[in-house]
Amino acid sequence: MSTKPRVSSAIPGEEPSFGTALAHQPGLAGAFGMLYSTFWSKGALDHRTKEVTRMRNARVTDCGY
Amino acid sequence: MGSRRENALVTWLKTEQGIAQFDAALALRPELRDLYAAFYGKLWDDELLPSSLLEICRLRVAQLHECEAELAVRHEGASVSEEQIRALANWQESDLFSEPEKAALTLSEKVPWQHHDLTDEDYSDLRTHFGEAKAVALTVGIALFDANCRLRLAFDTDPTPIRATRPASSQGPIY
Repeated sequence: MSTKPRVSSAIPGEEPSFGTALAHQPGLAGAFGMLYSTFWSKGALDHRTKEVTRMRNARVTDCGY
Repeated sequence: MGSRRENALVTWLKTEQGIAQFDAALALRPELRDLYAAFYGKLWDDELLPSSLLEICRLRVAQLHECEAELAVRHEGASVSEEQIRALANWQESDLFSEPEKAALTLSEKVPWQHHDLTDEDYSDLRTHFGEAKAVALTVGIALFDANCRLRLAFDTDPTPIRATRPASSQGPIY
């Protein structure tokens, strides 16, 4: 795993992060935001189920972030 | 892969027309389907990267997943030759791909199953060839190709050959 960010922040004054990296492509970032926020705020599944699967997926992929 | 499908127990997405196609399966959640199309379609609609580059990455990711349904989709406008597609399995040894394409294929090779093996040098190569903004677009694209294969395999969608003008569009179908 890299110890330094591979992508800079596209938002002045903000640290490199998932969101500020995506901001290099505002159109994609906006479309992703709409999809992901809708997934969490609406739908047929309860929050607990979504969170359990999100956490399990992060563990399986060994994603510490 | 035929035997895998014949033995498949996942039949819950069958429709009157047979096993559901990818878009039809996503359409079971219409709002999410449309937002997914807007996201995935943007990659192709906005021409953030050459379509030939996206296509070879899409097909390589599909090869790594052994995802026949994704491999059955061909982007007719992408100008990727059958010779290049045949060479994709051994792209490292092929002279049919440019250095920028090989940098992109390195990312494609590692994201599905070897994401922790991606090195700073690999990503630096991407930035050198494409610049930072396009490297981000490519990373998003490859992650979406990976996700598409996982979705298709989970849904067990039918590998019907499709020749599309593009794999997806914000306002159109997802093939």
